[in-house]
Amino acid sequence: MEPHPVIDVQSLRKQYGEHVVLDDVTLQVAEGEVAAVIGPSGAGKSTMLRCLNLLEKPDGGRFRVQDTTIDASAPIRPKDVKQLRRSLGMVFQSFNLFPHLTVLRNVALPQERVLGRSRAEAEARGMELLERVGLADKPAQYPSRCSGGQQQRIAIARALALDPEVMLFDEPTSSLDPELGLEVLAVMRELATEGMTMVVVTHEMQFARDVSDHLIVMAHGGIIEQGKPEQIFSDPHHARTRRFLRAVLDR
Amino acid sequence: MTVLSEWGTYFPQLLQGLLVSLRLAAISLGVGIPIGLALAIANGSGGRVVRSVAVVLVEIGRGMPALVMLQLVYFGLPSLGVSFASFTAAALGLTLTTAAYTSEIIRGGLQSVPAGEVEAAEALNMSRFDTLRFIVIPQGMRVAVPSLMGFSILIFQGTALAYTIALPELLATAYSIGSSTFRYLSVLTLAGFMYVAITVPMSMLTERVELRLSRHL
Amino acid sequence: MTPEVLLSILQGLPTTLVLTAGALALGALGGIPLVLLRRSPVALIRLPVRLLIEVLRGIPPIVWLFLIFFGLPSLGVRLGPLTAGILGMGAISAAYLAEIYRGGLAAVNQGQYEASMALGMSTPDMMSRIVGPQVVRVSVPAVATYGIGLLKDSSIAFTIGVNEMLYFASSESRATTDAIGPFLTVAAVYILLSVLSAWGARTLNARLRRRVAR
Ligand SMILES: Nc1ncnc2c1ncn2[C@@H]1O[C@H](COP(=O)(O)OP(=O)(O)OP(=O)(O)O)[C@@H](O)[C@H]1O
Ligand SMILES: [Mg+2]
Repeated sequence: MEPHPVIDVQSLRKQYGEHVVLDDVTLQVAEGEVAAVIGPSGAGKSTMLRCLNLLEKPDGGRFRVQDTTIDASAPIRPKDVKQLRRSLGMVFQSFNLFPHLTVLRNVALPQERVLGRSRAEAEARGMELLERVGLADKPAQYPSRCSGGQQQRIAIARALALDPEVMLFDEPTSSLDPELGLEVLAVMRELATEGMTMVVVTHEMQFARDVSDHLIVMAHGGIIEQGKPEQIFSDPHHARTRRFLRAVLDR
Repeated sequence: MTVLSEWGTYFPQLLQGLLVSLRLAAISLGVGIPIGLALAIANGSGGRVVRSVAVVLVEIGRGMPALVMLQLVYFGLPSLGVSFASFTAAALGLTLTTAAYTSEIIRGGLQSVPAGEVEAAEALNMSRFDTLRFIVIPQGMRVAVPSLMGFSILIFQGTALAYTIALPELLATAYSIGSSTFRYLSVLTLAGFMYVAITVPMSMLTERVELRLSRHL
Repeated sequence: MTPEVLLSILQGLPTTLVLTAGALALGALGGIPLVLLRRSPVALIRLPVRLLIEVLRGIPPIVWLFLIFFGLPSLGVRLGPLTAGILGMGAISAAYLAEIYRGGLAAVNQGQYEASMALGMSTPDMMSRIVGPQVVRVSVPAVATYGIGLLKDSSIAFTIGVNEMLYFASSESRATTDAIGPFLTVAAVYILLSVLSAWGARTLNARLRRRVAR
């Protein structure tokens, strides 16, 4: 029998006015699995990810993350939102660090406010995580003094500090030079080996092929193909997938 | 009598007046700016009703000349059975004006905080109140500082309007010396210099702060 | 708040408008030499003008009106209240508008100067035909905002006895038992005027923008 999935999305739908951006999206992610989401620009990848932690409110369908079920047809209770986000960490393309706080405060403040940890506790945990992402020498710096790759690793540490069960990444390396992107990908690989459940929207085909256990191809607001990455990369079923892969791999 | 020795005799009295002006400005700003912040927050993140009330209050406060506000508080309110001493009336009037104007300045500052940061805080599960308190307000207020300083200069100048409600601030003191000596030009010029002695350094400081902040952003 | 009170206050409206428009016109014109001198390469010209602008803006408007109205007579210059009001508010406006123009000048692309010179235009031609109109265009919103502020500030002229709206409100307030009504009424008129002129300024700005875009 299949293990109970950590994320279970059923027929998710989202539209802006008349424009349907997500249509009938159904997917599961098992514990410890790394799911990579690829697809052309405008496919709805970010929107799907943002619906999962309710930064966008879905218009139809339902989904479950761990023990929290969100049904788009019913009013969403603030308590459920809190509980849902409690198990999800999110990393953005543009890092979104807090520029007026030092690196360590960026990582510690949410722990203090959200988990009620003491400052000492939160900063100790923060240092531990900064070390893990290779930034033990940066706690007193301000984010603007850090390279993009460092900023993104700080953002990862900030999200990890709240002990999420699943990490969501929205194109974490797209605004970075390739070399700096590698630092970030290395951290993500390590997270994956440690068994973190991850959903990663990415244009890094190599990462998708080598690290992910589950590949999801989106286009036009829907999932056109999903399954084992080796299988999809070597023998895509769908013509649209083939076209997309050819376009990105030939670059 | 030379102008300088004449000024020497006026100066101590005028200094007393200047202190009253400064105290009035400080109180109006000290109370008005926090109210302005509250209005800005209500305007930016309150519900429909709260927002409309804030917008209307701000429009009234900004649409009404400060002088009318002072006259209304000091000469008008007593007919409703509420009367204030002139300092209180002046402070009340200028505080309301400050609140209305600074709420717009602060709203601009708060809006300059990137939406991505607010989203990040939301995704980190921080409450809306915490997001305001730790993320939006500290950065937004910083952006608003130069404009708030510029506005403070105007409010300090506005304290001269309290002359019309018999508050012995700088202008009133100068005018009363003028009316007893008939040396209006001389005493008003000295008073003018005393205003300038506060406002010009303030405006130079404002310019420097503005430069520094723009360099660091 | 009665219709009679409103009518009485509205007697002051023409004066309020004349005072505002007069001071704004004076300021709009006076600001031009101020900004040109303020940008002079000669320090001996630039610095005193800069000081003048600072002093004009640094002394409260009501103090300027008092200086002109009560102070100047001792030098033999006697002005009526309305003239004193327009001159005083106009001088202050010139200083504020000079600073607004300065921002507008800074916003004109350096390439415009270079292109004009490459075409062999004289400096006065360049300033009046190429740079000037562009400065006017970018300054319009700030000047309009200033004008709306001036409309409210014109109430200060009441203190030297100009028969503008607040003057009538104040005498109504003293003449009747309803002390607050006239002030509320005049406040409402000012608020209405600011809302209307803000709307007018937006329309004007949108129209200008369309013309430039074309
Ligand atoms: N706030 C919004 N209002 C209206 N339309 C939106 C909004 N956000 C996204 N869209 C539209 O939804 C569609 C999907 O956008 P989304 O950002 O999810 O795509 P994506 O797959 O993440 O693309 P990319 O690879 O460029 O990031 C696009 O057509 C986009 O224009
Ligand atoms: Mg996207």
